Amino acid sequence: MRKALPSILSVISAILICFIAAGLTRDFGTALDAFTAMLWGAFGDWPKFLETGAATAILRPLGEAGTKAAILTFTGLSVAVAFRVGLFNIGAQGQLAVGALAAAVVGAKLEAPGFLHITLCLAAAALGGALYALLPAILKLKRGVHEVISTIMLNWVAVSLIDNWLVIGPLRAAASGDNSISGTDQIHATAELPRLLGDSSRLNLGLVLAGVAALATWLFLTRFTRGFEWKAIGLSQDAARASGIDVDRGFLEAMLLAGAFAGLGGAVLILGTELKYPATLGAPWGFDGIAMALIGQGHPLGVLAVSTLFGGLRAGGTRMQLFGVHKSFPELMQGLALLLVAAKLMWERLLRTRGTP
Amino acid sequence: MILALLNSILDAAPPLIFAALGAVLSERAGVVNVGIEGMMRAGAFAAAVAALVMPTPLGVLVGMLAGAGVAAIHGWLTISLRSDQVVSGMAINLVMLALGTFLLEAVFNSPSSTPAITQLPLVFGHSPLTWLALVLPFVVHFVIQHTAWGLRLRAVGEKPQAVAAMGVRVGPLRFGAVLLSGALAGLGGAALSTATLDRFEHHMPSGLGFMAVAAMVFGRWTPLGAAGAAAFFAFGNALRIGLASSAPQLLEVVPKGVLLALPYALTLVVLSVQGAKNVAPAALGQPYDPELR
Repeated sequence: MRKALPSILSVISAILICFIAAGLTRDFGTALDAFTAMLWGAFGDWPKFLETGAATAILRPLGEAGTKAAILTFTGLSVAVAFRVGLFNIGAQGQLAVGALAAAVVGAKLEAPGFLHITLCLAAAALGGALYALLPAILKLKRGVHEVISTIMLNWVAVSLIDNWLVIGPLRAAASGDNSISGTDQIHATAELPRLLGDSSRLNLGLVLAGVAALATWLFLTRFTRGFEWKAIGLSQDAARASGIDVDRGFLEAMLLAGAFAGLGGAVLILGTELKYPATLGAPWGFDGIAMALIGQGHPLGVLAVSTLFGGLRAGGTRMQLFGVHKSFPELMQGLALLLVAAKLMWERLLRTRGTP
Repeated sequence: MILALLNSILDAAPPLIFAALGAVLSERAGVVNVGIEGMMRAGAFAAAVAALVMPTPLGVLVGMLAGAGVAAIHGWLTISLRSDQVVSGMAINLVMLALGTFLLEAVFNSPSSTPAITQLPLVFGHSPLTWLALVLPFVVHFVIQHTAWGLRLRAVGEKPQAVAAMGVRVGPLRFGAVLLSGALAGLGGAALSTATLDRFEHHMPSGLGFMAVAAMVFGRWTPLGAAGAAAFFAFGNALRIGLASSAPQLLEVVPKGVLLALPYALTLVVLSVQGAKNVAPAALGQPYDPELR
């Protein structure tokens, strides 16, 4: 809990700074209204529910928040597991794009009964993301290329090839009649992630998958020998090697898992909300994953908690637009929170001086 | 056709060259700068806004100041607080991406762009920044290779302890390099909003900052190499845009996305062939703690 304190303080400070910024550019009354609207948009409009008794007032926001939280959790886990062995996976964005495309293609081109089809799509996405993450791992082990540089390059390679070639070229949806459609073909209904709360809410199986993934990762890292080996590699490669741990294998396995998680994030985006690979993926989900992993202190359950918070805030952000505050405002909070978390030494000094009499 | 291509390179290359030079300065001093993208965005926005109320050349200066201001955050985090340099850079990118969008909406009530400004006046048919971009790589090369400050800068990126033993303070030296790096990235951004276009657009610099980092790696962390790589990448961009209008049938054979991916793929190939370890500054990415020896 003590380890989480800098993160909690950073998030609170970031939200306060943004509130003041909104207050200064509009006025504080409007800012308060906008932030309240964001809160209701994030975690359910409880006053409206109590007033009208309409369950959609709660279910719809929860659906939007949940779908975003699921994707953020997956890309956050992707960055976090690579961190465990001391690798910085900036490539979650590219791995997510590859996974998303794999899910969209398997979902549209293949026909299979419901449950099997979803499983196949998820497997294809995880495999695509994992293979794409294997490349920087191999380049690091065989050629000494730093993973930060290679994953940055691979992000742009993937996004350029997919968004500017495959999706507008070979994999473009067939135009129906006069209106041309952007993106790939719509996936079959059998590949859609089932919704959990009926038609009024987009909350789907993705959030459950993300929760299970976070829990499983936590168990793996803390209760299994291999999880401890990863931690040892992350703390000191030399010490790990000296005690007989296969460091290279640890790198490869961690990057494979990281890529698989990012790919699954892409699959949840496609199979849960977009239902096809769209013209652009919208948000930089992979880069957001870096923020989730770091604010969550690399702890799988921390990632889940932070992703739930920011998934919610970002879903609620759309409601701020009514008050003249841009809907990307929660992303500013997220960025500031990351910046403050990065100032680790500042928090250590602050918290230490307060502790001593 | 060739002349037209040359002209379009001269117009497209400056933002990339400035930003790549900025990346070189910071990384030669041992501070990883993947926040170039965010610093460019700050420069592009500040220059376009400043040019609304003052002459455009002054606006460009404001853009440089804004880039340096953002770089000061990077310096404070990575040098004063010894935070992870990659984390700080990525955080800066995320903040600037969101901040630009927020300010655009808050100040100009527009989701897409600022009002138009008067562009920089042309000199011999091109923006003055184009000519600056042709000269600056040699200036930076001279400063890094042939001045005392440049020698210290390189030394602090290779072995900071040695520089400290010489009686030079590592922190201020690195901080200066990071500030200059930000100013150059800001200049690159300002070139986008005052020379390439006449306003700040919401997507700027749309990945050019990362391409500048690629150019720096491709150019083996040297000013001339980085600027050359930046010009080469700009040539690729110009060729792609030129082909789209003059020979669209060729783009059927080589799709646009493949051309877009090429700079990054080439950088990766070059890196994996030569191996990155020998060319990157030795102390790159390591915070300097004076209490450790």
